[in-house]
Amino acid sequence: MTHAVPRVDAMKPSKPGPTRTAPPRPPDKFPGGGRYPAYLAFGACGAFLMISASLLTRGIWALGNGEAAWDAYRAGLGHPAYLVYHVAAFLGLTWFVLRLFRLFPATQPYRIGPLKRPPDAVLVAGLYGLFFTVLAVGTLFLGGAML
Amino acid sequence: MVDVTRHDVVIVGGGAAGLRAAIAVSEARPGISIALVSKVYPMRSHTVSAEGGAAAVARSDDTLEMHAYDTVKGSDFLGDQDVIQYFVEEAPKELTRLEHWGCPWSRNDDGTVATRAFGGMTTKRTWFATDKVGFHMLHTLFQTSMKYGDIERYDEHFVTKLLVDGGACRGVAALDMRTGQVKAVLGKAVILATGGGGKVWPFTTNGNIKTGDGMALAYREGIALKDMEFVQYHPTGLPGTGILITEATRGEGGYLLNSEGERFLTTRDYGVGTKAELGPRDMISRAIMQEIAAGRGIKIPGKIGEYAHLDLRHLGEEKIMARIPFVRELSRTYANVDPVHEPIPIRPVLHYMMGGVDTDIDGATEIDGLYAAGETACVSLNGANRLGSNSLTECLVFGARAGAHAVQYIAGSSGGEEGPLLRQAEDEAGRVEALRGQQGGGEKITKLRESMNDIMERGTGVYREQASMAKANTEIAELKGRYEQLSLDDPSKVFNTEIIAALELRNMIDVAESVALAALHRKESRGAHACPDFPTRNDGEYLHHSLVYYGPTGPRFDKKDVTLGVWEPEERKY
Amino acid sequence: MSEVKKTIVVTRFDPDKDEVPKTQSYEIPVQDDWKVLEALNYIKDNVDPTLSHRWSCRMAVCGSCGMNVNGEPKLTCKDPISSYGDTIEVAPLANFPVVRDLVVELEGFMDKFKAVKPWIIAAKERAAEEGTHRQSPDELADFKSFSMCINCMLCYSACPVVSNEPDFLGPAALALGHRYNQDSRDEGADERNEIFRDEGGIFSCSYANECTEVCPKGVNPSGAIQQAKLNNVVDWAKSFVVPRRKSS
Repeated sequence: MTHAVPRVDAMKPSKPGPTRTAPPRPPDKFPGGGRYPAYLAFGACGAFLMISASLLTRGIWALGNGEAAWDAYRAGLGHPAYLVYHVAAFLGLTWFVLRLFRLFPATQPYRIGPLKRPPDAVLVAGLYGLFFTVLAVGTLFLGGAML
Repeated sequence: MVDVTRHDVVIVGGGAAGLRAAIAVSEARPGISIALVSKVYPMRSHTVSAEGGAAAVARSDDTLEMHAYDTVKGSDFLGDQDVIQYFVEEAPKELTRLEHWGCPWSRNDDGTVATRAFGGMTTKRTWFATDKVGFHMLHTLFQTSMKYGDIERYDEHFVTKLLVDGGACRGVAALDMRTGQVKAVLGKAVILATGGGGKVWPFTTNGNIKTGDGMALAYREGIALKDMEFVQYHPTGLPGTGILITEATRGEGGYLLNSEGERFLTTRDYGVGTKAELGPRDMISRAIMQEIAAGRGIKIPGKIGEYAHLDLRHLGEEKIMARIPFVRELSRTYANVDPVHEPIPIRPVLHYMMGGVDTDIDGATEIDGLYAAGETACVSLNGANRLGSNSLTECLVFGARAGAHAVQYIAGSSGGEEGPLLRQAEDEAGRVEALRGQQGGGEKITKLRESMNDIMERGTGVYREQASMAKANTEIAELKGRYEQLSLDDPSKVFNTEIIAALELRNMIDVAESVALAALHRKESRGAHACPDFPTRNDGEYLHHSLVYYGPTGPRFDKKDVTLGVWEPEERKY
Repeated sequence: MSEVKKTIVVTRFDPDKDEVPKTQSYEIPVQDDWKVLEALNYIKDNVDPTLSHRWSCRMAVCGSCGMNVNGEPKLTCKDPISSYGDTIEVAPLANFPVVRDLVVELEGFMDKFKAVKPWIIAAKERAAEEGTHRQSPDELADFKSFSMCINCMLCYSACPVVSNEPDFLGPAALALGHRYNQDSRDEGADERNEIFRDEGGIFSCSYANECTEVCPKGVNPSGAIQQAKLNNVVDWAKSFVVPRRKSS
């Protein structure tokens, strides 16, 4: 995890220089100023992915261990703590996606395969289209409407 | 004792000419040891600021002969025609090599290298990478130089003296800016590639590092500086800062307008004929100055003076962004003007020195083993006026040739004793040590620099009056005396930029001295040297190169024949 | 041009005298059309000749004058002084050892720069007589924006990974390597990708995007690195199907 303590070996030359140097400072606004909090939060959203993935694994395990285990798992999902987590994860991952989509167009090369890269607006619209489609399909599926 | 390092070839300067020379040396004899000594990291070298392009014949409707003739005529017949012939032949090969090394030249739709029109050139022969050509060439050369293991860099080392013994140059004394120590960097040959000295003048496109160091180093060792009176005023610099707006703006179709919105180069006779904005730089700069003198300049409130307009609006945003985007960035950042919507304020600005260290076609000087290339040299390619886009190519062609010849030279040189060289380096270390933080007589760097700038602007501007040139000579001599009284404030050793500024100032004053003397002696108007007292060219008396030699009691003037051979001088009219 | 007084708070450090960096304030008259660099030059020329800073071209292309201004990495010759209040703090670039005052140690960068092999790698060298390569405007555009880096180091000063992973090659060097990988004249991508995938390569980047945010020339190093990541993942996946060409 990143921290604000200076690394005295940042950008250090492979051969020591001939005169004494003052150690490097970390970026002046790190971690609390400028755009850094957003970046750190973006990284921290990885925790949601990790927790949700482990819960999903736990669910699959329960499914294979009989009806009682599955019911207990389902009951667990109704626990207030889980509901709080669920809302937090939803907000966090939504924000994660928003930042990713904001940064994404600039990562695209001049040509994607044989085609010239479309204008940023088209790329962003495409990303949101894909995102909401997946979200809608997922919601309908989990809500039972597609079963 | 000073630190001593030993190499085969020592190159001073890490711009286009120095880097090209280094690569040429390494390719001529792999395994050879090269020292590349530069007062800045090479990617900071002023080549980086060149914008418009590099000339070489590329199109089927062009010929080497046409390029040669354009250059001869542009030089006002003071260029050496054998040099020009060699230059135009090598130019396409050199630019092609740069293409192989990765230079991102702009392209035609069919994938061939694109060329654009430039002043004084009869057809489109200027290769370009949008309008950051010097930047891309320099970075391509620097990055490519890294694959040659033979090149050892001495970055941020300021050369204070050439080590010359027994008539041969065999190293340099260099002040390591990091430690404040003087080192002896020895070699069997030395190549100077330190660029020009535009900072001698106050209003210049040149960066802070352009202080004529190589010229002064050679001058103090007794080598002549040649054709120093010819300094080029670029027609289009931003008022105030002097930041360059490339000639490519006119190559792409830009207009110059006076305060009445008139395209004066087409409506009045300034000798450029139908070329209009694509006339040579000396003529266009004079035309702008005359428009201003006639009351048709645009007035700026405050100290900056009057200017003309460079109008690009008719080119449209798409073309401006495709061909000259840097011009737009510079205009917006430094003049608060968007050329898509408004004309750019411009005025003539000191840009380039045609003169420099006198060399032959191989880049060799009067001292054995000492070579020079690029703006610091005067190989007599540019004569009395350089054509835009010839100088980047010149750095490559003559950097490579000087490198190749230095390798040939050292094969036949037996070297010599180190003792005398080391003693010189020791003495030099003592002098530098004494200068650092010296008490002196109260004179200050800033004041002296301002005085020098002022003297040179009054004495050697676009137009040169005899009286003002004579005065400049006297005043520069006085300034040399004042320099001896310099007082410095910084006694620290590590990265002391004050002592560097003091050493640079000494170099600039030496360069200024040679310019002032050569200018005074040329009582005619030729190329960039325009004297209202002698308004015409006088081939009978002045078809010769000027030489200025250093002397402890003052400079000495001499002259040298021009090599003709193909084209006899004729009236220079476009 | 109107003239106002501003206080420039400059970080000073002289290893001959100072144990650690300190600050020094200069109250100077400034013109409102100045850049921050002009204020430093005013101090150097008229107030304190012992101040050390690097600069040259003053037109945003030589890359010498990068510094942290009020905590943000800036190219000081391009940074208008009018965008700040009465007090402006100028410090050396973050993430670099400091040699003196505003001058930072660049050798570490030069090592990283060279490590990505920033030159054309081709199996066979062409002779000049063979003429230029054909490169379409599209092929040029594939890499052109990544060739615009002026090595001003602002990206290194802003990158949070640089301060934590000393081996990280960093934004400018990686973008430069990617520039050559994308060049139709180059055949060295396999060689460079091995370096890219190694410790301190592209996968050390955690996409802070600070490099792209602070770049004064619109190079977008972050975009280059994300592209390189994708290229390398695809390259890696392909290696299961087609054996990778071994580089020399």
